Amino acid sequence: MNRWWSCLWTALRFALIEQARNRLALLIVLLFVPLWTTLAFEVVARTPLRFHVRPVGRWLVMDANVLTQITGALQALTLVIAFMMFIATARSALFDRRLVQAGYPRSCLAAAKCATLVLVAAVVAVYATAWTHLLWHPAQPMVFAAGMFTGALTYGAFGIVLAAVLRSELAGMFLAIMTSSIDLLLQNPMINPNADSPVVRYLPAHGAVQASVAAGGLHTVPWSSLLLGAGWALGMTALGMTAFAVRTRTQRLPAAQAADQHTARSATTSGAR
Amino acid sequence: MRTAGHQARALDGDTSATATRGPSLRMRDVRKSYRGRPVLRGVSLDLFPGQLVGVVGENGAGKSTLLRILTGDLAADSGVAECRGTVGSCPQDAVLHGAFTVEQHLWFFRTAYGLNRLDRAYELLDQLNCTGYRNQRVETLSGGTRQKLNLVLALMHDPQVLLLDEPYQGFDWDTYLRFWDLARALCDRGCAVLVVSHLAYDASRLDILYRLGAGVLREAEQCGTSGWGS
Repeated sequence: MNRWWSCLWTALRFALIEQARNRLALLIVLLFVPLWTTLAFEVVARTPLRFHVRPVGRWLVMDANVLTQITGALQALTLVIAFMMFIATARSALFDRRLVQAGYPRSCLAAAKCATLVLVAAVVAVYATAWTHLLWHPAQPMVFAAGMFTGALTYGAFGIVLAAVLRSELAGMFLAIMTSSIDLLLQNPMINPNADSPVVRYLPAHGAVQASVAAGGLHTVPWSSLLLGAGWALGMTALGMTAFAVRTRTQRLPAAQAADQHTARSATTSGAR
Repeated sequence: MRTAGHQARALDGDTSATATRGPSLRMRDVRKSYRGRPVLRGVSLDLFPGQLVGVVGENGAGKSTLLRILTGDLAADSGVAECRGTVGSCPQDAVLHGAFTVEQHLWFFRTAYGLNRLDRAYELLDQLNCTGYRNQRVETLSGGTRQKLNLVLALMHDPQVLLLDEPYQGFDWDTYLRFWDLARALCDRGCAVLVVSHLAYDASRLDILYRLGAGVLREAEQCGTSGWGS
């Protein structure tokens, strides 16, 4: 068990170093999040709009610029974190595989990826909430941050999934941008007057949008939306970890010799495989 | 050519280590096809402790496929591929992480191999003349220095079976010579070394040289430089 924890600690340390070396992503987080949220708040008209808050079954009236700022902040977060996790996973794919072949526990690498995802998502969610707080005061800032966090987690995990199934970085980023845009534009009543359509309930960031808007204007905790967002995040993370496991798999050894990779490596294959 | 003498030493000189344990690496009738195109049509090979064996073949002959099956990277369609003992593998393209320094790579693989110390890794870096790059990030290194690190990661845990795919590409002449000294020193310590290349410049340094052609492995006549078209 000591070895496992030691491996996990090493993997986590290096995963964080890897993220810290992605200067472009850090710059995007630092500049893009405040730029987009501030512009959305200042430039968009303050026309009152009705927004259907499903967890409480009520219509909330909010200014268009506030609603656009919320969905804009979520879009900035989802794109940045999808980019960060996609790049990190894609660029370390072969290296991770070599580590696993050398005897590194795959579970440690996967756990380190998850822990990094959670940490990065938490940091960017708090950062976006802090910027929002400078522009207007959400009724429940902690819940607002939690809503942002679930959206960031979902798309960070989506980045891991994309990295596992796509070879091209361009294709990965294109898919992440398109998915996030479709997801969040459809939920903004300023762009889509039919944003309360039942179909939007099935979009990945629906829980995150509902939780963030509810936290912005109401004093009721939108538990069902938070749970929905957490469900999406967990499901997407599970999918990402499955894809990671598939990509780093090695051909299994016969039981007698597979017990210790350091004492024997044998790959017996048959036509049935 | 060292085949007869060296193999005899490996087989007869240390009966407890070799004869009783058998080959460190054994392949029997290994077959592999890609989308119906056969690449390996029944490859068999024995590699004993202390042997330095080369496999040459033209581009696309299936050399890397052979090694990937041995490292567990790829499943064969049929046959048996088996390595006994600790395996070290040096892939053809340097599999490194651009964001990490040389030192960080060593730490990562120290944990992977479960090593207590990095003395051997530092010794290897010194032998390959790249100690000065320890704190440099891999993305800033030249191709040759990356390849040296690629090799060190395969050797730092003193493997009993070493699988090397084009290990000296990008090396300067001095490093190339050091590589062969290193390979021979590993063999003298009982390591079984398999070197795969499209061209073996110094076939005389090998105990046995095989050619992989038409999906089959055949022992080659050794005469200095060997390769397809030579």
